[in-house]
Amino acid sequence: MAQREFDITIGPSGEVELHIHGYKGKSCLEVVKLFEKVVGQVKSQQRTSEFYEPEEEVRFRIDQRQ
Amino acid sequence: MSSVCILTPVVVAAWPVFSAAVAAAATSLGYSVVAEGVDRINQSLQGKEVSKHHQIQLEIANSELVTGQLGRDQRLSVTRGGVTVTFSRDARGGAQICVTGTGQTDEALRAFGEELSQRVVQQYVYQRVMDELRAHQFTVVEEEVKADQSIRLKVRRWEN
Repeated sequence: MAQREFDITIGPSGEVELHIHGYKGKSCLEVVKLFEKVVGQVKSQQRTSEFYEPEEEVRFRIDQRQ
Repeated sequence: MSSVCILTPVVVAAWPVFSAAVAAAATSLGYSVVAEGVDRINQSLQGKEVSKHHQIQLEIANSELVTGQLGRDQRLSVTRGGVTVTFSRDARGGAQICVTGTGQTDEALRAFGEELSQRVVQQYVYQRVMDELRAHQFTVVEEEVKADQSIRLKVRRWEN
């Protein structure tokens, strides 16, 4: 079992800062994609050392915004 | 930590979802929702006493209000201390804001409108995020509103 954790800060004007923990490799990009569908456009993104570790498969079912 | 990213909000909502976000945001800032009939009377009075009122038009950036009821007049007004803010859908489908008030400068009205519109977007995003987290079985383990009114959530899920 792996623990997935995010810190989400929704600023006073609705801008969202997302800190994603526990995803190795590019699997964290699935989370970013999910939030892009839910919130909006990615303004900036910083990748940390875990991003470059061996990948694991994570998939979310992303529904279209209504 | 794997990634840190910042997202700019886009509001694409049906009118009932948008108006719920307006009502929640307005209440949190001490505004009260104006009943539709009263709103129409006020608009009529404003038309007769326009010289005493200042009026500012704003729009919510990156917004699209989708509607299945074309032609229906969809608007919602909230009021606080003599300032009335009316949200509606403009001709292009974006969210439009009209701020009116007696004895207020244009700058003050603009500040009221911007404060409220930002809070509306924050409420909309909060609802969208919470709905999506529930749909993907994430648990909110911490939630706090900071001094600058930002909302911080810590969410967790265990996976095989």
